Amino acid sequence: MTRSLRRAAVAAIVAAAGLRLVRGGMASPIGRYVVDGPSMLPAYQPGERLLVNRLAYAFWRPAIGDVVVLRDPDRRGHLLLKRVSKAPDGFHPEPSHVFVLGDNAAESRDSRAFGPVHRRAVIGKAWFKY
Amino acid sequence: MSRPSFQNIISRGLRTIDRVAAPGVVEAHCDIPCGIYDPHAMQIAALSVVRMNQLIEALAGDEGKTKANLSRYITVKEDHAEIVKKEARIIWGDYFKAEHLEKYPDLNDFVWGMLKLAGKNKQEINLQVAQDLLAQTQKFAEIFWDTKGVKTKRAPSNQAVGGELVVPA
Repeated sequence: MTRSLRRAAVAAIVAAAGLRLVRGGMASPIGRYVVDGPSMLPAYQPGERLLVNRLAYAFWRPAIGDVVVLRDPDRRGHLLLKRVSKAPDGFHPEPSHVFVLGDNAAESRDSRAFGPVHRRAVIGKAWFKY
Repeated sequence: MSRPSFQNIISRGLRTIDRVAAPGVVEAHCDIPCGIYDPHAMQIAALSVVRMNQLIEALAGDEGKTKANLSRYITVKEDHAEIVKKEARIIWGDYFKAEHLEKYPDLNDFVWGMLKLAGKNKQEINLQVAQDLLAQTQKFAEIFWDTKGVKTKRAPSNQAVGGELVVPA
């Protein structure tokens, strides 16, 4: 492959990735999100923006401490931002499930309310704020 | 002028993209939103903090009784300063949206300062600091109602403490 061809290929890949980032949609490996609500204070403030890596859990399990975006088990079409946490004592979620909590426990609706969630409901990992 | 960092450039790029195509929303709510918010409770709580400071300043007489009253007033003062924080946090976190931030770019800093001022009211016995907190809650109420397109007025509290409350006109 000549150098210019290679350059053109790289440019095409970058352009395609850029377009995905703009157009969004669940098929995109990276998602842009804005935080709404106080349950992840102080780590995530309302109005803060973050990139979410949707491929983070393609091969690996969510780990305790990860901040994740998941589908709201109670409301279709809504997404939640929570932290994967250790389940309380005496509580043994299935290996296929994770227990999520809000950092600001006093003002959070999470696994204490809706129980452990299936890994399939976890759509990605909070990557960085911008 | 310093050169923008790599992260700065990335942030700027992403925010530009956000303007073209809005980002998705991830919710971090305290509960299934009921959609009912009112800055009245925080103003009443701030008034209570003012009142406790007035009562503390006016303490006199039998030493034992004074000590007992003082500890009660301090407890109530701190509880109500905490109520201001809680009410502010709920409206700030759950009600205010990005579009409100565009209209009031200093909103986050303003609320932050208010939370700190409420904390100071827990720490100190200081009537002026309590009055400042009341003024902040009034301003908060004015901003809140303005975002709903509701005109407000300042009405006397009609309580022993004096002061005013911001209410829909």
